[in-house]
Amino acid sequence: MNPKPFFDTDVAWCPGCGDYMILRTIDKAIAAAGIDRKKLVLVSGIGQAAKLPHYTKANVFNGLHGRAVPPATAIKLVNHELEVAITSGDGDMYGEGGNHLLHAIRRNIGVKAFVHNNQVYGLTKGQASPTSDLGFVTRLQVHGVYSQPFNPLAIAIVEQCSFVARSFAGDMEHLQEMMVAAFQHKGGFALLDILQPCPTYNRVNTLQWYRQRVQKIDAGHDPYDRHAALDLAFKWGDEIPIGVIYKCDRPTFESHFEVLKRGTLVEQYAG
Amino acid sequence: MDLNIRIAGAAGQGVETTGDLLAETFASQGLYIFASQTYMSRIRGGLNWYDVRVGDRALFSGREKADLLIALNEQALEWLKGDVADGGLSIYEGVERPGEIATAFEKVAKEVGGAAIMANIVAAGATFALLGYDLAGLEAQLAATFTRKGDAVVSANIACARKGAELAAPHAGRLRGPQPAGAPRAVCNSAEAVGLGGATAGVKFATGYPMTPSTGVLTYLAQVADRYGIVVEQAEDEIAAINMICGATYAGVPAMTTTSGGGFALMVEGLALSGMLELPVFIFLGQRPGPATGLPTRTAQQDLMFALNAGHGEFPRALFAPGTPQQHYDHTRHGLQLAHKYQTPVILLSDQFAADMRMNCTGLDDSYRPIDRHILSDPPEEYMRYAVTESGVSPRALPGSNAFVVLDSDEHDEDGHITEDLGVRVKMQDKRMRKLDGMVAEVIPPEWHGPPDAEHVLIAWGSSYGPCREAVDLLNAAGGPVAMLHFSQLWPVNGPAISDLLGPGRKVTSVECNQTGQFARLLRQVGALSDYDLMAKYNGLPFSAEEIARRLQ
Repeated sequence: MNPKPFFDTDVAWCPGCGDYMILRTIDKAIAAAGIDRKKLVLVSGIGQAAKLPHYTKANVFNGLHGRAVPPATAIKLVNHELEVAITSGDGDMYGEGGNHLLHAIRRNIGVKAFVHNNQVYGLTKGQASPTSDLGFVTRLQVHGVYSQPFNPLAIAIVEQCSFVARSFAGDMEHLQEMMVAAFQHKGGFALLDILQPCPTYNRVNTLQWYRQRVQKIDAGHDPYDRHAALDLAFKWGDEIPIGVIYKCDRPTFESHFEVLKRGTLVEQYAG
Repeated sequence: MDLNIRIAGAAGQGVETTGDLLAETFASQGLYIFASQTYMSRIRGGLNWYDVRVGDRALFSGREKADLLIALNEQALEWLKGDVADGGLSIYEGVERPGEIATAFEKVAKEVGGAAIMANIVAAGATFALLGYDLAGLEAQLAATFTRKGDAVVSANIACARKGAELAAPHAGRLRGPQPAGAPRAVCNSAEAVGLGGATAGVKFATGYPMTPSTGVLTYLAQVADRYGIVVEQAEDEIAAINMICGATYAGVPAMTTTSGGGFALMVEGLALSGMLELPVFIFLGQRPGPATGLPTRTAQQDLMFALNAGHGEFPRALFAPGTPQQHYDHTRHGLQLAHKYQTPVILLSDQFAADMRMNCTGLDDSYRPIDRHILSDPPEEYMRYAVTESGVSPRALPGSNAFVVLDSDEHDEDGHITEDLGVRVKMQDKRMRKLDGMVAEVIPPEWHGPPDAEHVLIAWGSSYGPCREAVDLLNAAGGPVAMLHFSQLWPVNGPAISDLLGPGRKVTSVECNQTGQFARLLRQVGALSDYDLMAKYNGLPFSAEEIARRLQ
C-alpha cells in the first residue's frame, strides 16, 4: 500500500506497515464523523503508532512514552469542547501506560483511545510487547515469551469501560466504522484495539494471519450484555471477533464537576 | 516578652485542634504568635506536639524550651518535661505529683461536656487562667469555631473551658502572659497560603498524589475549588499528576501539582517534558528527610540540588523557597506569573516546618486576580508554536483557536513537528535556554537583616528565615555584629550581584537543613561565594534561633 500522508513529510514507518492503513482510515473517519480538525487534539506517547499525529492535520500533544492518557484527561477537563483522541501502541498503552489506562476507564473521561496493537515493539527493533503470544521468540525473549498476554478488552469490560471495540487495520471499512462509532460515543472513555501487522518484526502475526482469523461480531450480539462481551473478549487464536464488543452507560468524568456546567475552564479564566 | 506553650499528646488526642485554637485566639486578641508542629508518622498514638509562642512583638520562630507544657497524657510529660524552661510549668493528665499540676482533663470533659474528646478544651481553659488572660476571648473563639455544630456543642465547649480555668485558678499568675500589642489578627498557614495564592492567581486545574507534607495544599484547593472554579483531581500516581498539568497548561489554564521528594522523583521525566514542550507548570515540592521514604513527617532542606538538576537534558526553570506564610502566598502568585511569561516550569520548594507554620498576617487577599497567561488571542493560520525569537519566548496559542497547536517531546522544528535535523536541534536548544537571560534579570533579590556593615553574614534560604532572623537579633543583642542574607529565590541566581552584596572580607556561614550545604555549593558554583562555614542540621527538626546562636558562639 502506498503511503499517502496528509503532510509532505518524512514518514518514519516501514513500507507495508499497518500504520499507513490506520492513518488513511482515521483521516476518513474524522471527515465522516464531522469533526472540525481545529477542535481536534490528537494525543500520543512514544512509539511508531504515536507518530501518527505528525502525519495528519490536528492539534497535537505528542508527549512521553506511556503517558498519553494523563494529558488527554486534563485537556478534556480544561476544555471539554475539544475532541480528544489518543493514538497509541500496545507498548505505550498496555505496557508503560497500563496504570493510566485502568484509571481512565475508572474515571470514564470523554477521551477516545485508538491502540495500534501489532503484538511487538517496532521502534526499539523487535522485542515482545504485553500482547505478544506465549512462546513468541525475539532477540530479547530468546526462549520465547513466558508471560501471559495482556487482554485489554477483558480488562476494560471488567472495569466497565463505557465503549470497548476491536478492529483490524487490514479491513479499513470496518476500522472506519469502529472509529466513527468511537468518535460518536458521547458516554465517556472509548477503547478501540486495532490489530495491525508489523511486516518487519512480527513474522508470526502477519496480515494474512489476522485476515484468516478476524470475524465480525454477529449482528445479534448485545454490547450491553457483559457476560456475552467477556466471552467475545476471551476469544483468541483460530477466531478473533472484531466489532463493538461492550458498552455501558455511566456518567462521564467531566459531567461530575459543577464548575464545568458554566462553560469550559478556558472560557471561565478571563485573565 | 513572650511565652512558649507546648501542647503534647498522642495522635488523635486533639493536639492540633488545641494548638490551632490557642494560636487563633491569641491572634484575635492582638497578640503576636508563631506556631509550629512536630509529629510522628502514624494515625494514632506516638507523641506529637504543637508549639504556640505568644508575644508582644513580632515572632518569626519557635523556641526550644517550653514555658508551659500541656501534656495530654503522662507519657508526653515524661518525654518533654526536660524541655520545660526554668520557672516554667507543666500541666498534665494524670496522677498528682509534687511541683507539677495534674488535672483530669478527660474526666472533667466527660462530666462537664459529656465527652472525653473535649479534654483539650479543658486544657485550653486552664492555659488561659494560668497566663492570667480573660476567658472571654477564648469563649468568643469557641463560639465562632463551633457555631455551625449548634448551640449545644458551643455551650458544652464553653463549659469545659470554664471548668479548666477554674481548676487552674489556684495557680493563676504563676506565668504572666504578654499583653496585646496590636498584632495582625488573622493567622496564616503556609500550605493554605500556597493554595490561596494559586486559586487567586487563576489555577484552574490542580492534581497530586497525597504525600506528607504537601497534602495540605491540595486539600485546601479542593475546599475552595467550587468558589474559584477549579477542577481538583487526585492522580493515580505522581507520573500522571505531572503529565496532567502538562496537558492542562497546553489546553490553556494555569495548573499545579503538589508532592514531596519521593513523588517528585517520579515526576522527573514529566518535568523534562514541560521543559521541552515549554509549558508553564507549577510544582509545590514539600521537602522531608530522605533518601527514599526517610522520615515522612519531619523537615529538611535537602532537595535543592535535586530540584535544580532534575530532568534529563538542559532547560530553564525557576526555584523559589519562601520563608513565611506571606512569602508562600506571594511567591506562588509570582511563580505562576513567571512560569507563564517564560513558558517554563517553576518549583516552589517548601518543607514540613514551613508547611505547618502559622504566623499573624494582615489577611491574604482572597480576591480573584488571575495572572496574564501571555496567550496569543488571534493566532494567524500559519502560526508556529515554537517560532524562534530573540527572547527565546515563542508566542503561545491554544488548541481550539484558529491555529493548529503542535507539541512534540521529540526535538521539533518551529512548527512543533518532529525533526532529526541537527541544525534545527541546536537552534531550538539555544532558543529554549535564551529564556534564562530574561529570568535572571528579574530574580527576587535576597533579604538582608541586621547591620549593613556586619562582619559575619548568615546565609539562609526557605523556612530557615525565622530561626536565622531571630538568631541574628539574639547575637546582636549580645554584641554581634551579625547579619542574615535570606534567599527566597534559589534559581536562577544572579552571581555577580550576590558577590557585590557580600563584598570582600566578611565571614560567611551557610545555615542549612541538609548535610552538604547545597545552597552554599550552588553559590560557590556561580561565583558568588568562595570561603564559607557550613552550619548543617539533618536530624529531621528545624533550626531554632537559640541553636544557631549557640553554635556560632
